[in-house]
Amino acid sequence: MTEGTKQQIDVCAASELPNGETRLVEAPDGAKIGVFNCDGSLYAIEDRCSHDDGPLAEGPFDADACTVECPRHGSLFDLTSGRPKTLPAYQPVTTYPVTIVDDTVKLEVP
Amino acid sequence: MAIPETAAAERPAEERDLAGINADYKEKFGFHDPESGYAYKSPKGLSREVVESISEYKDEPQWMRDFRIKAYEHFESRPTPQWGGNLNQIDFDNIHYFVRASDKNSRDWSEVPEDIKNTFDRLGIPEAERKFLSGVGAQYESEVVYHQVNEKLEEQGVIFTDMDTALREHEDLVREYWATIIPPNDNKLAALNSAVWSGGSFVYVPAGVSVAMPLQAYFRINTENMGQFERTLIIAEEGSDVHYIEGCTAPTYSTDSLHSAVVEIVAKKSARVRYTTVQNWSQNVFNLVTKRAVAHEDATMEWVDCNLGSKLTMKYPSIYLLGERAHGEILSIAFAGEGQHQDAGGKIIHAAPKTTSSIFSKSISKDKGRTSYRGLLEIAKGASESKSKVVCDALLLDEESRSDTYPTIRISEDDVDVGHEATVSKVGEEQIFYLQSRGLDEEEASKMIVNGFIEPITKELPMEYAVELNRLIELQMEGSIG
Repeated sequence: MTEGTKQQIDVCAASELPNGETRLVEAPDGAKIGVFNCDGSLYAIEDRCSHDDGPLAEGPFDADACTVECPRHGSLFDLTSGRPKTLPAYQPVTTYPVTIVDDTVKLEVP
Repeated sequence: MAIPETAAAERPAEERDLAGINADYKEKFGFHDPESGYAYKSPKGLSREVVESISEYKDEPQWMRDFRIKAYEHFESRPTPQWGGNLNQIDFDNIHYFVRASDKNSRDWSEVPEDIKNTFDRLGIPEAERKFLSGVGAQYESEVVYHQVNEKLEEQGVIFTDMDTALREHEDLVREYWATIIPPNDNKLAALNSAVWSGGSFVYVPAGVSVAMPLQAYFRINTENMGQFERTLIIAEEGSDVHYIEGCTAPTYSTDSLHSAVVEIVAKKSARVRYTTVQNWSQNVFNLVTKRAVAHEDATMEWVDCNLGSKLTMKYPSIYLLGERAHGEILSIAFAGEGQHQDAGGKIIHAAPKTTSSIFSKSISKDKGRTSYRGLLEIAKGASESKSKVVCDALLLDEESRSDTYPTIRISEDDVDVGHEATVSKVGEEQIFYLQSRGLDEEEASKMIVNGFIEPITKELPMEYAVELNRLIELQMEGSIG
């Protein structure tokens, strides 16, 4: 993600995002962001496939492989890096740091 | 060519019917064999049960069964594309999705069942293998019935086998690359192929190995209302070099068949892959194919795509240039005669700096035939100093034929060099007159113009194929001056 002024937004209580679960949140600038729990580790990516700008985060989520599949054309994205593992997408999507503070999942956004 | 001399002589030259493309197709390729000895033929129509039964019949691993079912669900949920050709004509419920003609896949030509052997003998496949190929595969209906690769190449670690065998014998390798280039829900037809795929080729070329002579696969549909859904995967490791050629024919029936293949290619660092297709399906075949390749750093990927047959072809081979200095080339010839629509073209995506590419498309339309060039050139942000040239030329041989061009160019980088040229021309009286003044008759003059038109592409083919392609096109040109 780009450097600059950042802010933290609350996603949900940590207990509401167990392993294998996802949450879709909206950043103050209106951008939608998907938050994923892969075997206890939390990751967040923009909800936009780099192939054709369609929604991404609500596609099939594989918590074991830590990937999400674009529901439109099937590109598989690595949630840890935002990089596509399969075509037709070939450019990465933006990732965001996620932390748990006082039992609350927090997302750092520009 | 189709006009008997006596009939042609009865009419003045300007009133002659234009001969259709592949006018001798029925005699040469249009025969069909009896199906009495077939091992298995699925009932018509597509369902979850049919998909499951194919997987069960082939005794596949669970991940492949799951893959097929998922793909089937994608196919069912997607609308039929309404662009390109008219796909609403396809009756998906009137197709046999899996037909097994023989129980075994032989490496010895003499072991191939007699009927099938005769078919391929008539098509000249064994002769081609002996003369100039490093390996050959022959697919009859849904499965490959013969496969052979040069022993020396095998010792070097080259794998050239049918996809079903590859899944059994090289499962990890197949799984690593499977559907990474074309996922099942890439498009409706890729989903269909993913659900019911059978046969096709698997090619693996180890690092540094150069396959001097081409590998060839030949695809044959025999059954009426049959769907052929082969799946091909080529992996060229670092610094390797391979040329793969495919050809295809089918009998002439009054009802339609469907061919929907998926071809995935990975050209790793400094590798070179050339994939040549001479598509000559009969004019009752819908040919809807997804072909895509990735080229990594310094790799070269070339598609040479010749479309002569089929009722409707929709095929746009694509290349993703993912590594610096990767190079991609697409050479496309389309020839549409009466009742044919060739919707062809190519896509190149520059995703890394200093990548280069070219697309050369040549189309010829006659007898109300329709050709379309549909292409995409994309230069992504960051792919600086990239260069590309797109040239699409169309030749119309009469007033009733049609040619359309749908080029898309997207450039997200400033420092690039992109050229696009498109021409549409008609064989004119002046050209003919000029050549006649040099001693040629009208027909020879016309042939010469067409051969000159496609020459930049035929010169890229191996000689045997160039001769065959020129001959096929010349046959269609005979008596075609109206």
